[in-house]
Amino acid sequence: MIKSWFIHGIRNGILTTKYPKTLPTTDEIPIKSIPPFGSKDSDWLKGKQICPTNAIEDQEKNVDFGKCIFCRRCSDTGFDFEDQNEMRNIALQAEGLLNIENRDKMHEDFKKKIMTFRKSLHILMIDVGSCNACNLEVLNLSNPYYDLTRLGIFFTNSPKHADVLVVVGALNYAMVEVLKRTYESMPNPKIVISIGACSISGGIFQDTESFVSPIHDVIPVDVTVPGCPPTPIQILEGLLLSMGKNNKQQTAEEKHNPPD
Amino acid sequence: MIPKFVEQRQIEEINGTIQISSIFEINGKSLAILTDIENSKTILSDMPLSLGEHVSLLLKEQTNIGVQTDLDIGSKVEGYGVFIFPYGPVSSGIPEAGGFKLITYGERIVKLIPQINFKKRGIERRVIGMKPEDALLLVERSAGNFSSSYSTCFITAVENILGLEIASSAKWIRAVAIELERIYNHLHVFGRLGEAASQNVATAQVNALKERVLRINAKYYGHRYLFGFNKIGGVNYGPFTTDERKGLVSAIKVIAKEFSNIVAFFLSSRIFLDRLQETAKLPKQDALNLGAVGPSARGSGIDMDDRLMYPIEPYNDIFIGIETDKEGDTMARTMVRIQEIASSTVILEQLLDRMPSDNINKPQLSSSNSSSSLPCNSDKDFSFCRIESPSGDLIHVVQLDAITGRIKFLHIRPPSLVNWLPLSKSLEGNVFTDFQFAFESFGLSYADSDR
Repeated sequence: MIKSWFIHGIRNGILTTKYPKTLPTTDEIPIKSIPPFGSKDSDWLKGKQICPTNAIEDQEKNVDFGKCIFCRRCSDTGFDFEDQNEMRNIALQAEGLLNIENRDKMHEDFKKKIMTFRKSLHILMIDVGSCNACNLEVLNLSNPYYDLTRLGIFFTNSPKHADVLVVVGALNYAMVEVLKRTYESMPNPKIVISIGACSISGGIFQDTESFVSPIHDVIPVDVTVPGCPPTPIQILEGLLLSMGKNNKQQTAEEKHNPPD
Repeated sequence: MIPKFVEQRQIEEINGTIQISSIFEINGKSLAILTDIENSKTILSDMPLSLGEHVSLLLKEQTNIGVQTDLDIGSKVEGYGVFIFPYGPVSSGIPEAGGFKLITYGERIVKLIPQINFKKRGIERRVIGMKPEDALLLVERSAGNFSSSYSTCFITAVENILGLEIASSAKWIRAVAIELERIYNHLHVFGRLGEAASQNVATAQVNALKERVLRINAKYYGHRYLFGFNKIGGVNYGPFTTDERKGLVSAIKVIAKEFSNIVAFFLSSRIFLDRLQETAKLPKQDALNLGAVGPSARGSGIDMDDRLMYPIEPYNDIFIGIETDKEGDTMARTMVRIQEIASSTVILEQLLDRMPSDNINKPQLSSSNSSSSLPCNSDKDFSFCRIESPSGDLIHVVQLDAITGRIKFLHIRPPSLVNWLPLSKSLEGNVFTDFQFAFESFGLSYADSDR
């Protein structure tokens, strides 16, 4: 029995992605997970009318990834979905969500926290009203293609053991108190990652009667991973960001000084 | 203790087992969608006069927001040492916002009360007044892992009302998406069962196969969870060319073959089988009374499948093997899912080989009387559709405003909603540690039942 598993494993070879050492491939980030951005010819006014979640707001033709559900309706109005490597990195530090007074303090705090979590990270997922797609993508992180444990990241079952709270879904009235209590029962220092358009801004559910507010109005959020749902690689990027490993810099450095 | 599902019915000429699948109020009239299981037929009728206790609890939409609902039917359990063990909404076993009240005296589960609506989003009320194409974005995000079933069900109902005659190939591409969805959901369920039995190496292999199906979804439909490939009057993405179709078939065939190898490993593991056999038994009569659908019903020997009961194109044109198992335990439900992966592969092969080559995305207005022989109301005011989602029978009832073309009424009867009570019935008398096997084998999703 054990022997046959061994042979089976050998036959399959190494499935695990090379990310974060290399950039993700098109298999790992499919076309509908690449965010739109305004080009010269894009008609932002038309795009604004057509956008179901008001992600296109200003004349600068910027798209708010936190609101975008990647429906690709704005592709008719000149918004670009070109497969550009730098655009694949969409995990962000959540400073933009805060007002200016809090931002500096938050930045300092975040820098201190990520130093603590450099080597290992234990994550707990909480669902506050998702459609189950984000949940499955977070669970997919443990499959052989992504293999979280090689990076020192582990799932945990109790908020008492967790370093990172991964929040998915549009916050529902029934889950507000649950979310607060889960956050409070985590030991310090702690990081909150808000995953998916629903948890960052409400996404497509922002006008439903049960939606309370974005997560960052209830508990402080450190990192956001936009997407609907974000792919496992994009979630991994958010997790690496909270470990202080900004993969983009790392790849550039490693290119010149390969690790021995 | 369990109320009979159909106590009185108004249609007398049909004999055999009839289930109430859905109840809704439209134009001030109460209507019901009934299922004739023996003859594999769908019947639209006036509402039966009296209903079982749980029918009124389940099939009508609950409107309270922000409060969870306890699906509690039957008698109260009291006695020496009996206590309630709360489980959820933040738990390791269920990666979703939902809970249970396990009533127990220590080791065995006396009664299980599912708690749903922790994440009720109220999509049915939100879409009222929206354009169908805008509502589609919400509907397909009701349950992420059943999204192509949801979107196809909704779109088919809307197209019925509008009288759009769309290209056959678009319908076939939708069916391919539904079968792909079935395969990855069944793989997910199987992986969760393996994880619960601590078969870590084998589970990793199953999860790798699931990831491969998701990547096939992404390659041919643009999205890993099949969001946004569907549109009213056609499809946006899909395997359009012959090469793509051939590539899809061969990729899925390889996955099905590898899965059958892994299943052989699993089924030779005594530890795995011990956890599944005789666990959470759901006898056929209970499944009928409580209205179980999908693999859960087929595992109890009920031969019901929407692909036969409500055969929209292309399911009326191809061979569909319905897998049933009469044991009714977790093993039977798992075997049904394993066999369905194989049968879905055969269906995919037929679909992609024989796909008609007409112009996709060119909808036409059909003549006044639709050629469809499926039950549908005469004046085309509202329409409904049934799709066999991975967890079972999904029903959408849609009514459009005749002048503006906006949605006037939407009723969703998700498959998970009706499967909660069969789950709690099957777990009575089982030990605590069997809970996760039973829960996973039903393939339930809180997002689906809360919508």
